[in-house]
Amino acid sequence: MENQFLDNWVTQLRKGMLELCILNAIKGTSLYGYDIVRKLRKLNALVISEGTIYPILSRLKREGFVQTTIRESTEGPPRKYYELTQKGEQTLSRMNDYWRDVKTGADALKGE
Amino acid sequence: MVKLSDNAQKSLDEYLHQARTYLRSAKSVDAGEVEQNITEHIENELEGTAEPVSADELETVLKKLGSPKQWVPEEELRWWRKFILRLRTGPEDWRLAYLSFGLLVVGFMLSRLLLPLLTLASFVVSRAALSANNYRIEVKAQKWLIYPSLIVVYLALLGLLLALPLLVLVPLAYDWEDTLREDLGFSDDMHYWLAAWPVFIASMGLWWLVQGIVFLARPNIPKPLFRPFADGFNRKWTLVLICVGFVVLVASSIVLNWVCGRYFQPI
Repeated sequence: MENQFLDNWVTQLRKGMLELCILNAIKGTSLYGYDIVRKLRKLNALVISEGTIYPILSRLKREGFVQTTIRESTEGPPRKYYELTQKGEQTLSRMNDYWRDVKTGADALKGE
Repeated sequence: MVKLSDNAQKSLDEYLHQARTYLRSAKSVDAGEVEQNITEHIENELEGTAEPVSADELETVLKKLGSPKQWVPEEELRWWRKFILRLRTGPEDWRLAYLSFGLLVVGFMLSRLLLPLLTLASFVVSRAALSANNYRIEVKAQKWLIYPSLIVVYLALLGLLLALPLLVLVPLAYDWEDTLREDLGFSDDMHYWLAAWPVFIASMGLWWLVQGIVFLARPNIPKPLFRPFADGFNRKWTLVLICVGFVVLVASSIVLNWVCGRYFQPI
């Protein structure tokens, strides 16, 4: 029962956080899908299965937060690079602010 | 693409097949893009690995990549689609097999009224399980759950296919007994039926002969009809059917000729 509660909580937190981390990973740069996965691999607690990142990238693209460009690759077929759109940058900035407030507030509560 | 061993290729095909199954139910996801993402990811992960890549090495990559279900956001699936997908996929794809056997057992336990309906439902599920598995993985132990309803329905279908003339002619012979007896000049019931049975048998022989010729021209008809039991069906079996049909036709014609000669009394 307790484990189930924790699992649900972690799943919900992970969903939102993963989007934030993906957007932060490509902030100010453009990355190939697999590079994003490699970058996020360090977040063991967040990335349980690497395949979850690709559908999120597709959704972020569909919603206009990221855009893609196809570039030739020396190692194989052309690759799709992801970068933030202006809308994505603005939204990410607000998401980071919101997360900072939440984290500060939660840390403060822990210290009380 | 990196070169995969046969078993690794089977695993990858299975993974992509499952992903495609889920993707079909989500309109907002570009299936081609997802498939490209999967293959590119695998290719990058396996870069530098000795070729052909073994099934174990690919399995490690697929495990890290996660379940094929994740490629479609769960909120995009309708409840009935989720239900079907849960039945179709899952650990070792055994759920359809369990459902098929369960329906058959429930049919036998509940009532005679529901038995044909549940047997048919079980048969449909068995065929679905078969097509979900048969072309990529052997059915193996699942056959104990899948085959019972297949056997029940196939036996009924086989009986219908082989004995169709009997099912049509016997009731007709009963209905028209008085008229025919009078017209053909048989003195009593026994003589009428003595002549009727060779006619029935001869019509079956003729029917088998026709079926044999049709299957000889189109050997692919019985295979999907009785899958998987007729997978080995070939022209040899059609020749057996033709020969048996011919022998039955000739033998019953001789008997009919003898019966008519003995009991037929022209008016």
